Parts: sequence; structure tokens; C-alpha cells
Amino acid sequence: MSHKDALLSRAGTFLCILLATLILGTGSAFALTTNDECLGCHGDKAMTTEKDGETISLYIDEETFTQTVHAKHGDRGCTDNSCISCHVEAAVEGDEHPYPMSPVDCESCHDKIGATYEKSAHGIAKAKGDKFAPKCSDCHSKHDILKPSDPRSTTYPLTIPFTCGRCHQEGSVMTTTHELNKHNITQNYSMSVHGKGLFESGLIVTAVCSSCHTAHDVQKASVPTSSVNRDNIIHTCKQCHVGIVDKFNKSVHSPLVTKTDKKLPVCVDCHTDHSIAKVHAKDFRLIIAKQCGNCHEHYSETYLETYHGRASMLLGGERTAKCSDCHGSHDIMPAQDPSSTINTANIVKTCSTCHPNANLSFTTYLTHATHNDKDKYPYLFYTFWAMTGLLVGTFSFFGLHTILWVPRSLIERMKAMTRGH
Amino acid sequence: MSNTPTMYVERFSVFQRFIHLLIIISFLTLAVTGMALKFAMESWAALIADWSGGFAVLGALHRFCAIITFFYFFLTMILLYTKWKESGKGLFSFIFDPEGLVPNLTDLKEMIGTVKWFFGGARPYYGRWIYWEKFDFMAVFWGIGVIGSSGLALWFPVQFSKFFPGYWLNIATIIHSDEALLAAGFIFTIHFYNTHLRPEKFPLDPVIFVGSITLAELKHERPREYDQLVASGELEKVVTRRGPTPWLQRMATVFGIFVVTTGSFLVVSIIITMLRYIQGGH
Repeated sequence: MSHKDALLSRAGTFLCILLATLILGTGSAFALTTNDECLGCHGDKAMTTEKDGETISLYIDEETFTQTVHAKHGDRGCTDNSCISCHVEAAVEGDEHPYPMSPVDCESCHDKIGATYEKSAHGIAKAKGDKFAPKCSDCHSKHDILKPSDPRSTTYPLTIPFTCGRCHQEGSVMTTTHELNKHNITQNYSMSVHGKGLFESGLIVTAVCSSCHTAHDVQKASVPTSSVNRDNIIHTCKQCHVGIVDKFNKSVHSPLVTKTDKKLPVCVDCHTDHSIAKVHAKDFRLIIAKQCGNCHEHYSETYLETYHGRASMLLGGERTAKCSDCHGSHDIMPAQDPSSTINTANIVKTCSTCHPNANLSFTTYLTHATHNDKDKYPYLFYTFWAMTGLLVGTFSFFGLHTILWVPRSLIERMKAMTRGH
Repeated sequence: MSNTPTMYVERFSVFQRFIHLLIIISFLTLAVTGMALKFAMESWAALIADWSGGFAVLGALHRFCAIITFFYFFLTMILLYTKWKESGKGLFSFIFDPEGLVPNLTDLKEMIGTVKWFFGGARPYYGRWIYWEKFDFMAVFWGIGVIGSSGLALWFPVQFSKFFPGYWLNIATIIHSDEALLAAGFIFTIHFYNTHLRPEKFPLDPVIFVGSITLAELKHERPREYDQLVASGELEKVVTRRGPTPWLQRMATVFGIFVVTTGSFLVVSIIITMLRYIQGGH
């Protein structure tokens, strides 16, 4: 470097300092427009504020933000990736934006999702002023928003149960301050076939909260448009279980087959919701009779009076025949239908599953018998009452005999004692 | 204290005691395993299933003890056949022997006499078998016939339904389970009381385990048998100074009380359950 160059350089530095001093002194020529300018303050880890007595960090990690969906793809949508595209009120002349600012309005870009959210249970609760109602950022985070396919995202399938669980885990402030129809949902989910698929098998294709409840259109099951409403649940499950629903639609339980005013069962009536188990698992097999009994009460009760039902109540009882073992499940048909598993054409084969060499006479065993129905099962009724008569008669006679004997026997004992025996 | 040593008379032979031991073991197991299924909805039944390892174990034990039952039934037949041959009597007069096990008119008279005794009359002139003992014996015959045949049908339902309609299995279930309720209820209350728990014998009459009773007991409890033995001159032959060893008596007491307690627990559970049903209108 020549002497002349050095002199110019020094003069330049001086000019710059002078200029900066002037700008800072008057504050008129500066504006907050670029992210760098925001980070001038928010890049400082020590920057905090007080809100409701809590200290909140106002630090933004530039490195993290540059990887988020907004930093990467912000220029594709309605805005760019700048801070002020969300924090619009911060775009002011001068070096200090108003404080506090209004919350970020995601809807200004995500208008469709915003409209859906507003009609959802979360959106309605928020509109009513429920301070526990989640805003966009409660699920998606603020400056760390990543695509759902990014393993670090709060909406990544493996993470969703934890994200929802922050509020919906039993015992959280939300669950203790709100009246909820379902309890222990996250625990039940963890133990369910879907939860095990996620936590044990690590499947991102298993059903997570949003698979059934949707992401933004979360509605209570009682709302007719809810994805988990009775009228929609089959469609919701069909997103994955296509083949099962195709079978079900041909069965007696399907509204396409049976026209009735009575309530027809949907997936969750038999399989339950959050605690849904593998159908071959003990837990599920043990509740089958109860689930079917919710509608078919008489058949369930009388089944429990027979060997299959009685044994099913004891340890290892999952092994005995359950409703679905004889009647089928998704393809269940009434007995008169030739395709029914309990139709005369098929019943020997059905019983033979457990009882090899079963014959047609064997299949006349009454699997839902009761001795309480005189008109339907007179043989059982009269056998039962004949046996009861025998019992009552025998016990009455010998019971009386014993009662009369007691005082005499006591006297004899005392006599023997005085005799010295 | 007299100087004469205590004399004993054998009431049950080793073979007879062995048969009764088989009956105790099999009957108690059959009752516990069967009632656990009959009353499966009760918590005590669930406990039994849990302790044993599940209903499949209960079923296996139940069937194993059914085999023991048929076996001791067969042994009893051999015993009766031997007794018949020893007696030198015709079959009819052996079966209806006045001092045999089949109830007769004397038992009716003794029963009436017993009720009078309860109210202060004289103690009846009892012989070798008293009517409630005869009832116990005959009831086991009847019970094995009814419970055994219905039980076999339920054990082999497919084979059974080749000869009979399948729905007869439902009838067999009711007969099997209610007759078993009668048998278990009877043994664990009436038989236990008549034989062991009544104040004269409480807590246990060990004769079925130790085999012999004292001559004094025989004379007091079964005067007719004693007099018959004296009259026939048999008494000299059967009386002995060899009584049961203390070891045998202790074993008999421990085992006997264990069995009576187990049966009593089961029957109390059943009674409480039945009372609840009656209250609940079932």
C-alpha cells in the first residue's frame, strides 16, 4: 500500500465514524428493514423482557432461523423471508419498534388454514378467550418452524404425540381445568396398536393424533363435521384401512346393506379409539363380548352363561371362542345369509376351527343358552328347576337335621368331658 | 384310672382308607377347579385361576381328577366284590344285608329315634353304619353316575354329539354343574358337620385316616355293632392293643384339618355368592 492510499483509507474511516455519529445522534436517517438490523438487538443472547412476571428471552438464533421453512421458502409465497414480513409493526423508521406489538398474523399468508382453524375446537376456544387454546405457534413453534417431513419439526409424525401431549397429557393444566370426555388419551395411545407402531416400531406411517383428528380442523366427536364423528369415522379410518372398509361395506353392520333406524356400529364401537389394540392381542379378545354386548346385550349375556363365556373370564380366557371367532368380524352376515359363517352351510367348518371332526349335531349346541327363558329353551328351564328342587330339598332336610343336632351334640360333648374323656 | 390297657378295633382297612384318600384329593380338586369355572365372574374364582396358572390348568386338573374318580369307583367295586365273596351270601342278600350300606326300614326308625334324641330322648341303638353315613356312601354312587356321565359328555362333546343331539350338552352342563354344587355343598357342610365339626368330634374324627377307634368309643357310639360282635364271639378276634401311632395321628390331624378348612373356604365363598345372587334377583 502506498502512502497516498493509506491516507485516503484513514480519511475514509474518519468520514464513516463521523457519519455514524451523526446518524445515531439525530436518529432520523435509520429504518428497521433487514434481518441484520433486527438481529442487531435480537442477536444478543442477553436480550429479555418481562411478561406476567416471567422473564422471556427475545434472542433469535440466526443459524436456526435460516433453516426454517420461512427462511428457506419465504420468497416463494406472499412475502419474503424477512422478519418484518411477519412482524409487520416492526417495520418502522428509526431504530426502535413499538412495544408490545400485536401477535403475528399467520393468516395473512395462510388464509385457508386460518379459516379452518377458526372453526375448529381450538379456534373456537381461543375466540372465547380460553388462554389454554393453542395458537399456531403453540404447535408449530415460532422461529423454528420446519416442514412436517423434517425430523426436527414439532409436527413430524414421531413428534406429534408429544406436541399434542403438552396439553392433552393427563394431569396437565389443560386437562385439569377443562371438562373432557376422554381421559388418559396419550397413555392409552402409547399402549395402542398405533402408539406401539410409532414408539416401538418407529413407523412414521402409523396413525398419530393428526391422522384421525386432522391438523387444523380438530373437532369434538359430537360435531357432525368432525373427522372422528360417528358418521365420518369409517371414512377417516379408510385413509389407511381401505381393504377393511371395503369388506365392512358389504356386511350386515354397514348402512349400505342394512337400512334401519337403530344405531349401526362404526370402527370405534368395537375397536375403541385411543386404546385400540391388535385384534389377536389378549386385551382386545377379552373385551369382544363386552363390545358386541353394547348392542347385542342378550346374546352377550347368555354367551357368558356358557362354557366359552365362563372360561373367558378366567386367566388365559382369551383363548376360548369369542363372538368374532364364530360370526366373523368385518364381513359379518346374518345367519340366514349363505355367506354367513354360522349359516348351516358353513357352521360345521366354523366350529371345526377349534373342534376338529365337529358334525352337524354338534353344532346344535346352544352357544348363547340360558335356563331363564322358558319359551325359548324349555329343556334347560325345566332341567334347571328340577336340579334346583333337588338341591333345595336335600339341603333343607339335612340343614334342619344339623341345626337340631347342634344343641344335643354340645350336651353330649359336655357329658363326655365330665366323664373325663 | 383302670389298669386295663386301651383296646382298639379296626373300623377301616388300609384299602378302604386309601380309597377315601383318593376321594378326598380328587373331590377337593374337582370342586375347586369346577366351581372356579361355574362362578368365573367372582373374584375368588379369578384368584383360583390366577394361582393355578389359568383356566386351561384348571381344566387339565379337573380331567385328571375325573380319571382318579373313575379309578376309585372301580376300586370300590373290587372292594364290594371281595366283601361279597367273603360273606358267602347271595348277591341280593349281600346288597340288602340289614347291617350293610343300603338304607332300610331300621334306618327310618333310627332317624325318628335320632330326632327324639335331639329333643332329650334316649340315644338310638346305632349299628355299624348310621343312616347319615349310608346316605354319604349312596350319594357318592349316585353322584358319580350323574356327574360322571354328564362330565364325560362335556369332556368329549364331538363324540357325544355323534349319538345325541348337540344341545343335550347344554342340559348336561346344567346337570353336571348343579349336581356338583349339591355334592360339594353337601360334603363341605353336612358331611363335614356330621363327621368332623359337630361338638362331639370337633375339630376332626381321624378314624378314616388312622383306621381304628377305641373299644370304649365303639361301645358308646355303635352299641348294636358292639353287642353283635360280643354275641358272635367276633370281638375277641378283632380287638387289639395296637392303636394308631402318634405319628399317624398327627399326620391325620394336620391333613384332615387342612382339607376341612379348604372345603369350608370354598363353600363359604359359594354361599356368599349364592346369597348375593338371590338378593340381586338372579
